[in-house]
Amino acid sequence: MNIRVCAVAREIIAVENVTKVYRLGDVVTYALRGVSLKIFEGEIISIMGPSGSGKTTLLNMIGLLDKPTSGRVIIDGIDVSRLGSGEIARIRNDKIGFVFQFFNLINRLTVLENIEMPLIPRGIPRSKRIEMAREALIKAGGDVSWLPKKPLQLSGGQQQRVAIARAIVANPRIILADEPTGNLDRASARTVMKTFLELNKMGATIAIITHDPEIANCTQKIYIIRDGRIVAVQTPDPSRCILYTQ
Amino acid sequence: MAITQFIFDVFKLAFKTLTERKMRATLTIIGIAIGPLALVMISSVIDGYADYVITQIEGLGQNAIVLFPESGYKFSDSDLNAIRALPGVERAEPFYSIQAQVKVGTQTKVVFVYAIPVDIVFEAIRGLEVSEGSIPSDSDYLKAVVGYKIAYDDNNNKVYDIGDVITITYLKTSGGKTEIKRASVSVSAILKEFGGAFILSPDTTIFLPLSAGQKVLGLNEWSGIFVLAKRSEYVPMLIKQLQQMYGNSASIISFQSIANIASSIIGAMNFISFAASLSAFAVAVAGVASTMITSVIERTREIGVLKALGFTDIQVLVMILMESIVMSLIGAAIGISLGVIGAHALASRGFEIRAAAEAIMVIKAAPKVSAYNIARTLGLTILVGIGGGILPAYRAAKIPPAVALRYE
Repeated sequence: MNIRVCAVAREIIAVENVTKVYRLGDVVTYALRGVSLKIFEGEIISIMGPSGSGKTTLLNMIGLLDKPTSGRVIIDGIDVSRLGSGEIARIRNDKIGFVFQFFNLINRLTVLENIEMPLIPRGIPRSKRIEMAREALIKAGGDVSWLPKKPLQLSGGQQQRVAIARAIVANPRIILADEPTGNLDRASARTVMKTFLELNKMGATIAIITHDPEIANCTQKIYIIRDGRIVAVQTPDPSRCILYTQ
Repeated sequence: MAITQFIFDVFKLAFKTLTERKMRATLTIIGIAIGPLALVMISSVIDGYADYVITQIEGLGQNAIVLFPESGYKFSDSDLNAIRALPGVERAEPFYSIQAQVKVGTQTKVVFVYAIPVDIVFEAIRGLEVSEGSIPSDSDYLKAVVGYKIAYDDNNNKVYDIGDVITITYLKTSGGKTEIKRASVSVSAILKEFGGAFILSPDTTIFLPLSAGQKVLGLNEWSGIFVLAKRSEYVPMLIKQLQQMYGNSASIISFQSIANIASSIIGAMNFISFAASLSAFAVAVAGVASTMITSVIERTREIGVLKALGFTDIQVLVMILMESIVMSLIGAAIGISLGVIGAHALASRGFEIRAAAEAIMVIKAAPKVSAYNIARTLGLTILVGIGGGILPAYRAAKIPPAVALRYE
């Protein structure tokens, strides 16, 4: 008897028929219209689309920063639509790391204090946090000499690496990045993308919103979103990834 | 353990946030500090004087009752005998009293002169002691026991020694006529400094034997009757009996009841000062709320980031609230410290009381900075922080993270 063992990738993010409606007085705006997608563990995907197409709203749904008007979001097998805000916050802290276009670092705090911020809700002792922050910064392609500095003493690319370090310091299984290279020069964007690919190799599931096809082409799948709907799923052209272009 | 670590981290973060907005935080802290300053300063001064006054009154004899005739009534031997016959009465003695002036060195001092069996005074007033000389017997009506501040001037130079003659100048009214009288007595004993000057001030009093009332001062009517109860517990009962005996014909005063009245008045003063201080705390609540609301609005995006990083609503609430609590703790430390300093400065000025028509006495008492007062003030100031911070903190906690992150 032949036994065939199949390694089936587990879906870590499932968005099922999600609609998001914003109401402002009599004005009703559909940000998402029945969006469904599945992201498997260890995947790196990108979401592209014009401004106002619903990319960030979709990322907010996946990142549990917003609740759908209808539909379900399942993270790591947990249907989050039934959870309270405290439990959702704990899932965010435990499973998801965020990287924003404008870094969103807290400028009055040092780089070290910024990176260790996700560890504070867990009540991890300071000595352990310092160790974890150093490791995360190195993993994010940063330099430990930045730790005592304030974010504004660093360049944009360096700040984004600090933001990535903050996103990965708590070892989340999912990293969500909203236009992480949108505010960077080409060289910095290349470094940041390289970091994402390395993190993906280490097992992180990554979703990136981007306007830049050279970023999207570095990922495994490109979701095209328009008017709140996923209109296409494209296969990227790795030869046109930012790492291989001039 | 994790919660303790979280609170500690949030406390540090709160402190750091305040240092970023130094001017605003400083002004808010000043606003907070006014309440504890006022409460500690006023309460400590009142408590200090309260202790002083009560101690003074109690020191004048918890067993003593004094009767003064009213509305033309004259005390006589029959009154004296009736009082002496009351159960619980240890001793009852009549006395004469006048207000007079004596020369003490270059000064003219207003003094009180009592003609009374002098030994009853020592029996009634705890801690009253003779520093030199001896107490005169009733037949030595030209001899006097003088208070410390009569024998010594304000620079502690001895003016009158044993055997020296003191001339007492006083006003005597008889038949509608008032005339200036003088009487001379020799010093038989000098009292040790008693301190204080409340109701009865032994330091500025001349005690003469009872017979001197008539023979030296020329007085015909007793000024009152001094009664000593066997035990202080009998005093309320005796007062009741004396009130029944005399109705409106005599005023009956006991130092014990004066102490009780003083306690009630002090309690009322404390309450009024506490209530007045509360208004400063109320204003501080508004100041903290205003600062924290501004801070929360300015940091809306940062709050969104914290939530994205996994801070729960309650953790955000605690974080924002901690900032107002830290401000209130700093305000409390400053306010309480300044309050203690202010209390000493205020108390050192002294407190004037008019003991008689022309006699103004200045009493000075150290402020009483009690642990209860400090704890109460600290608690109230922390409540200011919580009260002013809770609404902004709640508002911050309830901002949806996606909305906060979009905030410009």
